[in-house]
Amino acid sequence: MSNNILDLYKFGKVSLNETFNQLFSSKAKEKILKGQEDNSENIKSILIELNDLIGLANVKELVKEIIAFVEIQKRRKNENMLTEPIVLHMIFRGNPGTGKTTVARIIGRLFREMGVLEKGHIIEVERADIVGEYIGHTALKVKQQIKKAIGGILFIDEAYSLARGGEKDFGKEAIDALVKSMEDYKDNLIMILAGYEYEMDVFLRTNPGLKSRFPIHVDFKDYTTNELIEIANIMAKQRQYKLTNNAIMKLKQLLTTYNDSYNSGNARLVRNIIEKSFRKQALRLKKQSYISKKDLLDIKAEDIEGNDNY
Amino acid sequence: MKKSIIIGKSNVGKTLFMINFAEFLGLEKIYIIQEFPDGKKLNREMSIEAAREYLSSSSKYKTQCIQSIDISIPVYKGKKEIKIMDTSGLIDGIHPDISIRSGIIQTLERLHTCDIIIHIIDVSLLTQGILLSQIDRQIIEYGISRRGYILLANKIDLDKAKIGLNKLKKDYEEVYILPMSALYKTGLDEVKAFVIRSI
Repeated sequence: MSNNILDLYKFGKVSLNETFNQLFSSKAKEKILKGQEDNSENIKSILIELNDLIGLANVKELVKEIIAFVEIQKRRKNENMLTEPIVLHMIFRGNPGTGKTTVARIIGRLFREMGVLEKGHIIEVERADIVGEYIGHTALKVKQQIKKAIGGILFIDEAYSLARGGEKDFGKEAIDALVKSMEDYKDNLIMILAGYEYEMDVFLRTNPGLKSRFPIHVDFKDYTTNELIEIANIMAKQRQYKLTNNAIMKLKQLLTTYNDSYNSGNARLVRNIIEKSFRKQALRLKKQSYISKKDLLDIKAEDIEGNDNY
Repeated sequence: MKKSIIIGKSNVGKTLFMINFAEFLGLEKIYIIQEFPDGKKLNREMSIEAAREYLSSSSKYKTQCIQSIDISIPVYKGKKEIKIMDTSGLIDGIHPDISIRSGIIQTLERLHTCDIIIHIIDVSLLTQGILLSQIDRQIIEYGISRRGYILLANKIDLDKAKIGLNKLKKDYEEVYILPMSALYKTGLDEVKAFVIRSI
């Protein structure tokens, strides 16, 4: 807009005074308004990103709930009513490649925009980052990670591994330290534990207070074959490729043959297949003497191959 | 590097102020960069005397582009570099010449990116019952809303300029107004103090 008015002035359509007014008095007003408008704009774009994820209906429902709750809490605050501090520690259960980390990242950004979290960054840790090597080392390590994560999200992947080592393992110490700090910093830290379904259940049983400290449990269901196909299409589209109908059929066939429970419904598996098909396509095209633009675009059935081994 | 911009109407002494201010800060030669509206850039090195003769004149619209010089100002024990931009003069309404309008656009584009705004007005004109022009009033209003704004009441050496200054001070009590004379180099010390405070 500001460039428009400069052009208008250049061609002698408006006076300098009007130009100056438009440029500078509007800017001052904008600054005041900007703070509020920008936020809602960002929340919108993050929500669009979340909604673009395939499946995950329960996650989307949960996010909607939290947004509504936060907004109503703000209203209540304006009316001088009691407001609950929101405890949002979560447990994500699901097989690999079902979107746990992706969702955690989006939630972090969303909460920052909504003002639930101060920074909204996400610290991803695994067992090795919080379990020490000798007595007394563990609590220190946990403290360091917590300190880093304050104002954001502490995301512990494969959390069940903390409880796997048996009686003398320092993993237990780590769990105790985490439980303590998640109570201390419940206002400005969100802890998310993630792991496979069965193992997480075992893990939660190791410390009786653990389950009740996490008010939100989210199950990440396996993707159905159709959802996986949709994901494959989106992945290809993002990189400016196109799956032909035959390729889609072949992919469908491949995915249904993957029957072991960890890998069926795994988006990461699809990504690997798709990325491999790009390489296969490149190899196929290199043999051709003439390559059209459509050739560059299309992924054919022969490019799709499930086997990761070379 | 902090940027400062010198703005004001045409023929109020913007260029002369820049050259004399540079001299006041101890420069013997100035290295000047001229940026024309069409994107052409010209680098020139000249002595203060030559610059005064070549760049400034008593007629209107001598400067039709952005002219900037880099000056290092001693602050406490160290030095700070600032860029001082001299601009083409502003005028109310629509100027008939497109090249001058393009020069004015350059000024407007740079205005909000600058840390220090040095606004110069010809205070000797205010006496004859003439009010401050609209664009000057607009710049003052913009300046009040931000930091690093100074209003220089130039040509204080002329007769009756004091009357204009008093009038100005009464109208704009919240603005930092500094009487000075670019030609006779008075008041430059205060400008230097202001610039140091603002960087």
